[in-house]
Amino acid sequence: MNQLSRRVPLVDGVAKLTGALRFTADLHIDGLLHGALVLSTHPHARVVRIDTAAALAIEGVHEVFWHGNTPSHHYNSSIWFSGQKALADEQMFPQIVRHVGDRVAAVVADTEEIARHAARLIEVDYLDLPAIFDPEVALGHAGLPLRDDDTPTFLNPVAGETFVYGDLEAGFAAADLIVETRVTTPRSHHCAVETHACIARPEPDGRILILSPCQSVFAVQAVVGQALGLAPEKIRVQKTPIGGSFGGKAEPILDPLCAFFALQLRRPVIIRFDRHETFTATRTRSSVTGWMRTGFGVDGRILARETYALVDIGAYCTGGNYLPSSMLQRLVRLYDVPAERYSGRAVYTNTVPAGAFRGYGSPQIHTIAEISLDIAARRMGMDPVALRQRNLVGPGAIEPWQGLDLGNARGRECLARGAEAFGWAGRYQKGVGRGRWRRGVGVASATHINGCYPGFHEETTASLRLLPNGRAELVCALHDLGCGADTTLSQIAAETLGLRACDIVIVPADTDTCPYDLGTRASRMTYICGEAIRRAGVALAKSIRAAAGLELNTPADDLCLEAGTVRCRDDAGITLTDLAARLDSRGVELPTATESYRAQANPGSYAAHFAEVEVDRLTGRVKVTDYVAAHDVGWAINPMLVEGQIHGGIQIGIGYALYEDVAIDRATGRMRGDSFSRYTLANAPEMPPIRVLLVEEGEPTGPFGAKAVGEIATIPVAAAVVNAVNNALGTELTELPLSPERVVAAIG
Amino acid sequence: MRISLEVNGQAAETEVSAVSRLSGFLRDVLGLTGVKEGCCEGECGACTVLLDGRPVNSCLVMTFQAAGCEVTTVEGLGRSSGLQDAFLQMGAVQCGYCTPGILMAVEGLLRDKSSPSEAEIRHALAGNICRCTGFEAIVQAVATHAAARQGSY
Repeated sequence: MNQLSRRVPLVDGVAKLTGALRFTADLHIDGLLHGALVLSTHPHARVVRIDTAAALAIEGVHEVFWHGNTPSHHYNSSIWFSGQKALADEQMFPQIVRHVGDRVAAVVADTEEIARHAARLIEVDYLDLPAIFDPEVALGHAGLPLRDDDTPTFLNPVAGETFVYGDLEAGFAAADLIVETRVTTPRSHHCAVETHACIARPEPDGRILILSPCQSVFAVQAVVGQALGLAPEKIRVQKTPIGGSFGGKAEPILDPLCAFFALQLRRPVIIRFDRHETFTATRTRSSVTGWMRTGFGVDGRILARETYALVDIGAYCTGGNYLPSSMLQRLVRLYDVPAERYSGRAVYTNTVPAGAFRGYGSPQIHTIAEISLDIAARRMGMDPVALRQRNLVGPGAIEPWQGLDLGNARGRECLARGAEAFGWAGRYQKGVGRGRWRRGVGVASATHINGCYPGFHEETTASLRLLPNGRAELVCALHDLGCGADTTLSQIAAETLGLRACDIVIVPADTDTCPYDLGTRASRMTYICGEAIRRAGVALAKSIRAAAGLELNTPADDLCLEAGTVRCRDDAGITLTDLAARLDSRGVELPTATESYRAQANPGSYAAHFAEVEVDRLTGRVKVTDYVAAHDVGWAINPMLVEGQIHGGIQIGIGYALYEDVAIDRATGRMRGDSFSRYTLANAPEMPPIRVLLVEEGEPTGPFGAKAVGEIATIPVAAAVVNAVNNALGTELTELPLSPERVVAAIG
Repeated sequence: MRISLEVNGQAAETEVSAVSRLSGFLRDVLGLTGVKEGCCEGECGACTVLLDGRPVNSCLVMTFQAAGCEVTTVEGLGRSSGLQDAFLQMGAVQCGYCTPGILMAVEGLLRDKSSPSEAEIRHALAGNICRCTGFEAIVQAVATHAAARQGSY
């Protein structure tokens, strides 16, 4: 074992640290034109007139685009393959705008400055329509989401999921305590430091090339094809380096516009959103209101649980129709609940659309469930760690919804080891003091998925080939979002080939050169792509050994790959560079291997987080002062990058608990948190010192035992922090984020 | 108007408009795209550069205000101090978009204070948003590097 369990630095780290890495907005492309958008200032209105004359009169303006001169095809920006059936309700420039920030028009000009100036000169007349901002009110706007001719109605609910399991009535009848809670989670924003950007360039052969910091080049191809009415083969997409995504760049937003403008003007076009546009005109996390009723036995066992979740998905469906079932899928993986009823509804409102955001429903549902569980623990006078320990699933558990085996599920170990490291036993219940400053501690458990199995397309193809310089080239549509997936996956490939991670040359994701892949989503990179790459590596190693065996006149079984060399048992051998040269000199093709891997399982990743907070009763301000995160990752391919994922997940989670909310005004539909000066994040001074514990018990179905960590890192955080605040104050705060106003109001 | 300034050790004389931001000038005119723009309102710190040795948000500096000044961007930071290597080895870089600004903020801190406390490091980074790392590895890398840098003097 050479490359595994090692703190290998990012393979692209030096380029990032020297400023040499070119992100999309940094690229130099000859003849590049710049686009700027006009966004709706009304939450729901018919665009009755657009006067473009003043804009078109500006020197350097090439064209103004609006609903009158652009395709009106309906599309869904969350699809991930061409032809996918999905509720198509979005248009490039709708005649009826559905949220503040919806797209009204765009100017394309010689420079961004000219385009933005001209965009401000466009006059738009709106005819206001009734707007709905409250998801409970939205439920009353009821009907089928599509007419017979497939036009969207924007009636609710968009989607729903109901699940009933076990004898609910008997469970509640036997309960010693029944606890009912209502928890609300906010609309939070991804806040990747790179704003949204895209470049499209018409190619000489009539195709369009799209350069996009995306999570799946194939998803971009599919969405652009649907929006423009173009065949996918007319569209080539290449992934550019990405300055953070967290799901925010999963859905192509600018790509259809750029592609259309570039084709029309026969010039390359870039659109680069500013921060305000990235807040108001991209995606957010859906907000969820959850009602939970749970019956407990006298020993703390959950006997029955009933959940109703109302999901506000905003103005367009995107992937919001999956949220009720996604939340259910995640909910049933954590505790052994003998009787369960779940009902989830997703509704449209006239607010910015929701979309993918690290965990896809999981942070919402686990925040709701873990805060509820903690309230129950306090009401029954039971230690929250003990209550969780009594109910957590263990290895080999089968979840009741899809009947999936949860694999080597080590949530109990996370809880036990985390509690010990945190010193839980000595700290819990010492929170409630007197005076202005109160300290409290909180805990939350969580689980998440590993990939999309049993959904379709949960497979990928990886190709590895020996290069003349003795290194290996990897082709597998990979989209590193900055988390270090390229490094981790290079370590996996290198491990199988006796190379170092830096010897693996990754070909950037490109629809023309890579086989289809779902992209970076659903915590599938290490678990799914990693396994495909491991298999391709094993296969390539075998063919290298066979080729070397012929060269060395040695049985291939006597050879092994080590430190860039094919070694014999007697230690003689041949370097991969020499082997490649010898094969090449004889005109023999260099060894190559391609493996497709279709997932056979979807085990759970598990975690337990522990937070200490200090609350100022006078101002209502909360500071997280200590943090322990214990994670069941199967096996850490790169512990440093695993820790990095967990640290970053905690930052997003602390914000979710305490600060982050785009705060859509219920009277006007305007977003109040629409810039970094009005949307607060946990920065360096607000972040606590963090200790990470890795539980490495191995997942038999994962590559070298590895499981996912990317999304789960943020899932338990908010509940752990809120539970700590409730412990400190003796409150039952359930409305997130815990702003100073809410904290002060709760103290009374 | 015509101004002269020094950027990464090179003298530059240039015609600038009165509304040109330093971040835009560095990126678009000089091609120093290591300077990132994340908000253009001085909140995210991605555009941080050193102006006469002090870290500033270059999006909030008009280019003419830099007349006669020395500007240092990540491209001019040099790797000899080992700061970037500390970030690399300790996992303090993930997506890399905020990294140039953070490096410049740290460089500004360390020129002012050779052995900052953890609280001082966190305070110096208060104007830089990082959405990937939770700042944990960054703070550790800065502390480790500061100790090494001091030892080498």
